[in-house]
Order: sequence, then C-alpha cells, then structure tokens
Amino acid sequence: MYNLDPIFNPRSIALIGASRDPNSVGQGILKNLLKGSVFYSEFAKGFSGNIYPVNPNTSEILGLKCYPSIKAVEDEIDLAIIATPAKTVPSVLKACIAKKVKGIIVISAGFAELGKQGQKLQEEIKNLALKAKIPLIGPNCLGIIRPSKNLNASFAPSMPPQGKIAFVSQSGAIADSIIDWAISNRYGFSTLISYGNKAILDVPDFLEWLENEPETKAIAIYMEGVNDGKRFIEIAKKVTKTKPIIALKSGRTKRGISAIASHTGSLAGSYEIYKTAFKQSNIFLATTIEELFDLAKALADQPPVKENAVAIVTNGGGCGVLCTDHCTRFGVNIVELKKTTIKKLDATKKMHPAYSKSNPLDIIGDALPEQYSIAINTLLDENYIHGLIIIQTLQTMTNPEEDAKIVIEAKKRHPEKAIICTYMGGKYSQRSIRLLESHSIPDYNDLKKSAKAMWALIERGKQLKKKE
Amino acid sequence: MQQLNFEKTKKLLEKYKLPFVKSFLLKSEKAISSAVSKIGFPAVLKISSPDIVHKSDVGGVKLDLQNQEQVLSAYSEILKNIKRKKPRAKIEGLLLQKTESGQEVIVGMKRDPQFDAVLMFGLGGIFVEILKDVSFRIAPIYKQEAIEMIKEIKAVKLLTGARGKKPVNIEAIANILVKTGKLALENKKILQLDFNPIIVNEKTAKIIDARIIVE
Repeated sequence: MYNLDPIFNPRSIALIGASRDPNSVGQGILKNLLKGSVFYSEFAKGFSGNIYPVNPNTSEILGLKCYPSIKAVEDEIDLAIIATPAKTVPSVLKACIAKKVKGIIVISAGFAELGKQGQKLQEEIKNLALKAKIPLIGPNCLGIIRPSKNLNASFAPSMPPQGKIAFVSQSGAIADSIIDWAISNRYGFSTLISYGNKAILDVPDFLEWLENEPETKAIAIYMEGVNDGKRFIEIAKKVTKTKPIIALKSGRTKRGISAIASHTGSLAGSYEIYKTAFKQSNIFLATTIEELFDLAKALADQPPVKENAVAIVTNGGGCGVLCTDHCTRFGVNIVELKKTTIKKLDATKKMHPAYSKSNPLDIIGDALPEQYSIAINTLLDENYIHGLIIIQTLQTMTNPEEDAKIVIEAKKRHPEKAIICTYMGGKYSQRSIRLLESHSIPDYNDLKKSAKAMWALIERGKQLKKKE
Repeated sequence: MQQLNFEKTKKLLEKYKLPFVKSFLLKSEKAISSAVSKIGFPAVLKISSPDIVHKSDVGGVKLDLQNQEQVLSAYSEILKNIKRKKPRAKIEGLLLQKTESGQEVIVGMKRDPQFDAVLMFGLGGIFVEILKDVSFRIAPIYKQEAIEMIKEIKAVKLLTGARGKKPVNIEAIANILVKTGKLALENKKILQLDFNPIIVNEKTAKIIDARIIVE
C-alpha cells in the first residue's frame, strides 16, 4: 500500500513543465499553485509550502526562480507534477525518481487513450514507477485539489469551497465543470482527484486514503472502469463501513462504451456487473451527475436514519402530498402520527384550526415561524420519528430566514435525526437556503430529490446495521 | 472455446455436490432396459452432443415417456431427427432422465475480466429471454446473499407461492448458487456456464441441463 500523504498534504512541490506561455497547461498549474485559482474565486488562496518550477529554457516564471532540472532543486520534494509532452515523460520521471520525490502526478496526455503507441509509453512509466515503488496519479489527468490545504495542483479554472465531500473522477472535464458549479452553489469539497488513465493509482487506492482523511464524510466517484474489480469490491466494502460512497458509472449503453474506449483507453465492464459490484460493496448508484452530488450532500451532512419512520412538515398541502408520493415510491415510510403527538400540538393552542393533524403535517399556508417551530420540535421530540422533511412554500407572511434559524436550532437539539429541507422557490429563498446549508442542513429545490435523499439516509442506516 | 462433454460435466457437478437430475447416458439401445428400471416413469430422453445447443429445435427431446416401448421408439426417432437436421453433430449418446416437475429457473455464470465470476439467477423461458428479469452477484457469495439475490427478481412471487401454488424450496436454489460460485472460482478455465433449466418444487431443486463452456 502506497503512502499518499506526500501527494495530498505536500510540504514542497516541483512543477516540471512550468511555462512562460500564459495559455499553456504548465503556466495554468503554476498560477493555481501560487494563487489557488486562475479565475477569481473567493475560496482560493495560494499554496503556502515551497513551489519549484522546472524548465531548462528560462530562469524565472511569474516571479519564481525556475530550475533547469529537478536535480538542481536543493530542497526535498514531496510532490512532483509533470506537465511535459508525453514522449519526454519517461525521462522526466526517471529524474524525479533519482531525486527521491515521494509522489507524482502526470498531467500530460498522449498515453493509453491514444492507442498502441501511447499504450507502450504508459507501460514504460508504469514500470518505472512500480520499480521505484512511488505513487503516481495519471497520466492524462487534471490533477488534484485540496481546498483546506490551499492546494490546487491542477489546471482546473478555480478552487471550490472547502467541505466534507471527496470527489474522485476518472474524467478531468467533469471535475473542472463541477468546480465552476460548486463555486456558484457553495458546494464544498475536501478533496478533488482527477485520476485519468490510472497507470498506478486507481479508485481503490484513493478510497483507502480517503477512509482515514478526517475532513471527508462522503465520497463521490465518477468512473468509466476499474483495473482490478476484486480489489475494488474488497476495499469499497471496508470503506463503506465508515464512510458512504456514491458512484456514477458511464458505459450504460453500447454507444457509451465505444466512446469510452476511444476516450480514456479504458475497458468498460458491462454496466450490470458494475451495478452488482456497487450493491455488494454498499455503494450508492447515481445515474446523473446531479444525483451524484445530491446524494453526496445528504450523506455527508446528515446522520443515517435509524428506523424507517419519517415525518413531513409543510405549509403547502399539495407539496406534502406530492412529497408523500415520492417517498412511498422510494420506500420511505411516512409514519402515522400518534394521537399523543396531535394532543401535544393541540395543547399549544397555536396551530391553525385547519391544520392536518396527520402526516404529512400541513401547518397551512399562513404558517409563521412560530408554527414551524412548534411542528418541527414536537415531531423531532417524538422517539418514533427518525427523519424529518421540511417543506416551505413562500406566502406573503412566510419568513424564510426565521424558519431556517428554527430548523438550525432544532437540528442542534436533535443531531441524531436526519433533516432534509425543501425550500420551494427561487430568488427569495436563496439567502435562507445558504443559511441552512452553511449549517450542514441539505436543501433541495425539488420534492423528489428530497425524498430520494431521505431514502439514501435510510439505506445508509440499513447498511450500517448489516452484518457480514 | 468448447463445451464440456457430458461425462466431465457430470463429474464436475458431483464434485461440488450440485444436484443433477438422475440421468443415464445411453450409448446403445441395449442400455435402455437397465436404465429405465433405475429411473422409472415418466422419463425424458434427449440428445447429448456438444454441437447441439437448442435440443428441441432439432427434434432432440422427447418428453413424458410412460414405458420402455415409448423410450425405444423415442430413441430411434431422435437419432433419425438429428441425422436429418444436424448430420455433422458429434453424438455422445442419448440421455435418459427422470421427469421432474416444478418451476423452471436458471443459474448462470459469466467470467468477467474485471470482477471474475459473475453469477446470474432468473426464472426460465420468457422471463429470462424476453423480460430479462434476472439478478446478479459477484462470487463468492454466501447463502444469505444468494437468498437476497433470488428474491430480487420481479417475478419472485412465482417462487414464494402466487395464486395458490406451494412456495418452492428457495434454500435449495440458494445452495446451487453458492456452490456454482465456488466451482467457478476454483476452475478458472470455465468461461461461462448455464444450468438451464433447474426445476425447483417445494422439496428439491434439480439441475436438468448443464452447459459448461471452457477455454
């Protein structure tokens, strides 16, 4: 097993292929190392450790001293990033090995994804790295990002917010488009790994490292195929005992499969077999990118639901019924409210005379924060209710921010129960949604998504109860 | 790629204690009378040839044979059919089997380059071929996983007692699945196999036809 700490928590970094050309990958990576992002992001800061650009044709890039070779760097190097043309990579790699760097990322493309010639080149670097027992990510990848370490060792445009989700992606393009989306949605990551052609390190290696990475609470994967399926199952089974994993697998259709073969040089096993492997290792299967991150958010932020007994609080009857429909379809049990619960609600004398007195608990359109507070806290206090979906639709008297604060306070009183919010709407709900999510309460703009998120938390509860 | 012959198939199934229906491979008409006395009636007679996959399509199967005379005439009729429809097929003999009654199910295995032995379960006939109502597991599996796998198919109610039928012995199918996984993992030369059909009733599950493809 490789030690991946020098790659993900490096103290010093060498960038071989740093370039003076502002449009080059080599300069993009250097800017990301120096500033955290090329495109402005409020979440980006530069790397605080030592950065050593290597390029024999220049003595200075972006104000940094440039070294003619990695050998010329006096400092010890934890991480070497290689972004030179493919055919030069074997010799650069040899120099890195001679320098005793502790980890390597090969960004360069032109390997197994390019047919036989590239495959040969990939075998060459694979054998070099294997012989030197050095961990290597790539080739043909975007790189890695660790927001909490101010480490952007990639040519992605920017740095996403810090968070609890690790994203492991075979595709670099999916990883960098996610970053743009994550910044505008305040979606946080602990780690982003684009692993490309997986010459040495593959998904199981990253899972093993993430298992012990303290910031990571859930792991999202985009994969086209793995090299060693047996090892993948074995490690995923172990990791899912402590952290939930959600995976999106491409190659579902025959057309999709040929696109992969010409894309990353990966042999896709049939989709059904991967689905089976995921099921046997307790991995959640996502079918779209959106679903991948929706499920990851719920699983990272909320506890597993101990028993399948969920309540809905809503100020809109239609939304409550729709949500119940979705829940029922996913197998989420909308539990019958006990008479004693209704009595407690009635005893407050604050509920609307027409409130539903059943689950979904419709507290009527004119509900004020006070009604939300009574409903939410009364239901969460009941020990037969293990999860709560809170729906808010906007009326003239609705106070989304106050309602959000009530949810946040209630969550503090019941951290063991899962809460999912559905603030229906757009512009006027944004601030309160941000408030909720900054307190780790997931919100979805869609009832079906909320139902699916609650389903995932119930499934997670079942996974953890399961014995081998 | 070739199909394992009957003798080797039978030996392999015995080694893994996979329940194969009581069968005799008849090499000549003379063998009939002693075989029928051991199997009883009604019996089934079918062609055994590595070159013939769909036996009934070439007139290679005769069902519900009630006495020795019927077995005798079925014997010559099958040989005549094969001579006409598959003249070049290599014939191992004719297989005389006990008639089993119950629900038809299928257990299969496919070797995958990434995950090794992948097991499949489904109900027989149209359920597999048209509705594709099957479930998968990657070997090895344990009995509980095998039971979950069986219960995962949509038509599971046909096994658990729909419309007044008696529920079948699901554990017996689960045992076949577990043993098939073991067999596949210990015999890497097997690329694919089909136990199709397996007939299961409230008491037992018996493999009626086993097709094992080796390198």
